[in-house]
Amino acid sequence: MRTTTSRPMLALGPLALLLCLAGGEARAWAQTPAATSAPNGCVTCHEKSSGAAAHAVTAFATDIHKARGFTCVDCHGGDAAATDAKAAKDPAKGYKGVLRGAAGVQACATCHSDANFMRKFSPSQRIDQAAEYATSVHGQRLAGGDTKVATCASCHTAHGIRAVRDAKSSVYPTNVAATCASCHADATHMAGYTKADGTPLPTTQLAEYRTSVHFAAMTKKNDLSAPTCNDCHGNHGARPPGAEAFVNVCGTCHTTFATKMQASAHAAVFDRGCVECHSNHAVQPPSDTLLGMGEGALCVTCHGDDNGAAAATSMRAAIDSLRDSVEQSSTLLERLHASGMEVGAQQLALREARSHLTLSRAEVHSLNAEAVTRVVGEGLAVTKGLDEAGAAATAELRFRRQGLAASMVAILLVVVALLAKIKQIERRQAEQDGPPAP
Amino acid sequence: MEDPTVATTTSSWRARTATWIEERYELGALTRFIDEKRVPVHRHSLWYYLGGMTLFLFIVQVVSGIMLILYYRPSAAEAYESVQYIVTRVEFGWLVRNVHSWSANLLVAVAMLHMASVIYLRAYRKPRELTWVSGAFLLFLMLGFGFSGYLLPWNELAFFATKVGTGIPGALPIIGHDIVRLLRGGDEVTGATLSRFFGLHVAILPAITTVLVGLHLLFVQQQGMSVPPSVEANVKKGERLRETRFFPNFVLHDAVGWYLALALLAALAAFSPWELGKKADPFASVPAGIRPEWYFLAAFQALKFLPSHVLGIEGENVGVIGFGALAAVFVVLPFLDRGASYGRPGRWVSWLATILFAFLAVMTVLGYILA
Repeated sequence: MRTTTSRPMLALGPLALLLCLAGGEARAWAQTPAATSAPNGCVTCHEKSSGAAAHAVTAFATDIHKARGFTCVDCHGGDAAATDAKAAKDPAKGYKGVLRGAAGVQACATCHSDANFMRKFSPSQRIDQAAEYATSVHGQRLAGGDTKVATCASCHTAHGIRAVRDAKSSVYPTNVAATCASCHADATHMAGYTKADGTPLPTTQLAEYRTSVHFAAMTKKNDLSAPTCNDCHGNHGARPPGAEAFVNVCGTCHTTFATKMQASAHAAVFDRGCVECHSNHAVQPPSDTLLGMGEGALCVTCHGDDNGAAAATSMRAAIDSLRDSVEQSSTLLERLHASGMEVGAQQLALREARSHLTLSRAEVHSLNAEAVTRVVGEGLAVTKGLDEAGAAATAELRFRRQGLAASMVAILLVVVALLAKIKQIERRQAEQDGPPAP
Repeated sequence: MEDPTVATTTSSWRARTATWIEERYELGALTRFIDEKRVPVHRHSLWYYLGGMTLFLFIVQVVSGIMLILYYRPSAAEAYESVQYIVTRVEFGWLVRNVHSWSANLLVAVAMLHMASVIYLRAYRKPRELTWVSGAFLLFLMLGFGFSGYLLPWNELAFFATKVGTGIPGALPIIGHDIVRLLRGGDEVTGATLSRFFGLHVAILPAITTVLVGLHLLFVQQQGMSVPPSVEANVKKGERLRETRFFPNFVLHDAVGWYLALALLAALAAFSPWELGKKADPFASVPAGIRPEWYFLAAFQALKFLPSHVLGIEGENVGVIGFGALAAVFVVLPFLDRGASYGRPGRWVSWLATILFAFLAVMTVLGYILA
């Protein structure tokens, strides 16, 4: 997931005016966070209570805002120094109560949309989260009166907010999918929501995503740059990318494939771009099997007895030949390496051949069979050289073994001759010395 | 049937040559010495051949090393490529390089066995104390050859192992840092380290070794082979221990051993060539399983096991100083075991040696297992 320097705090476009009006007053208290050492009347009372208020006190202990010196009144208003609840929750002292829906977004945006204020805490953090949120499906529905939609606290939590780079954060790359799924995989919660075409919004995205190559990269290879929900949908401005944007979305990472795809004949006929072949949430590892007109191939879905089918068959055959050749060369080099032959230069060349295989697979997206064949040809020229070098090394290995056998025989003969000579010398010496004295 | 005219011509030619040499160099005393030299024969005689085997492997090192120098280039930019060139392009270069690498390891192993046999047979006792001392220093020199030669191919494993190895003296107080800089030619292992290791490997160490080997052989030839105290004690009064001629009997037996060692070297070179690995990259992260050559592994592992502090002294300091003290005791061993010179060898030497060898063996095995 490509994390933004900030993620959060959402705002409502329609509430912009309200934010501006409220901003001056809110910043007045936000710029002077209450000293953490001062007694906090809110905590004194709420930590003895039960339910959500007590939970808020507990959760806030690990909140990044607490670490930066903010307290309850910085968001909720009121008077933390007051000794009774009525005085503490006096609206005249700015008490706002529980911040739900638009009020919550407004409270967050008060600080997080203020460049001057944020500069003091996190100078590089973005301040457009609220503006982005207003463009999202969530923000627009909230503006329309839908209170079930996600607001800032839905993703970041209300009182246990952690930095995005904190692995325990609900919006840390590995946690994003589960966070989104807390609503989007809940059929009850999502009941009534529909796609643009009127069909019910599915709740299977998380289950599908968990089968994908992206999820595997993130969770098994610990590759935090692997995409999760917000990388394709946006985070604060979350919404479906739209049919016309699929190639651009995938092309954010898969640049070469997207460029070739956009220049191909498929660009004009594929309504959903890359998704047509690779799907969206359940993207599977690509395989050569997908290409061609055989079993498991995707081309056969649309193509029959036409030029497209011929091109697919031709590209598949070319790629298969290079793949087989690379595997054959690899096996040969591994065997030679295991036999102790120095094949460092050949292993380097093998990497070049593998690169050509990758390039030929990328070239498939251009649907240009000639281009694929050209790249494959370059790769095959490399593997041909490798096979020749491998054959020479194999002959050299045979020569070494034969040479060793010959030298072993020669050494053995010398040893036998030496032992015979020693015996002869000892016998002669014994004869010269005569029998040992009694 | 042999032509008597040819035989007479040959023999007169030999006689004339011998006379020519004798008139100028008077080698008669030397030939008489060789002719009269005898070697004791007893149940431990086999150990006598380890010294000769060590010498043979050293000669193999010198010859193969000289051949490698013809192509090797001692710079960080070219060292790895030159070794790669030797093993792939130079005719029989692979054989020379593999024989050199394997022979180096066999040499250290045989030298260690030789020293162990000398300890257990108390061959270091009077009058052979200096033979032992020269041998002990020769063993250290062999380890120095191994340490300096290990870096020369400039591959990844050697680079990081040398980094660790040269960093160990840094634990010493006051002089530690200077020793590290002296070894590395700077604060880090660089091309400068390679240059000085090459100089050490092909010039400084060989020069010292040549002198010490000469002295060692001179002592051995002058004093003859030591007879173990246990054998001496069993020789009855008036009887003489059985002996064999040094030349040709002992020398021919030696030659048999040398040929067998040569066969072993050739087999190892052909069937288990020394891997070159990847070229050293000082900016790469340290690969897993970095460890020194097997003969340093015990010390390396023991240092790793030491706690951070021992009696308030830094653990690594204790280890380095401890191994230094052990080496010093090893050198002066003949002077500590005085009883051996009078036929009363102290059993403590055998016990201590056994414990030490067992410790080194266990640490070496652990070094391989835990790496």
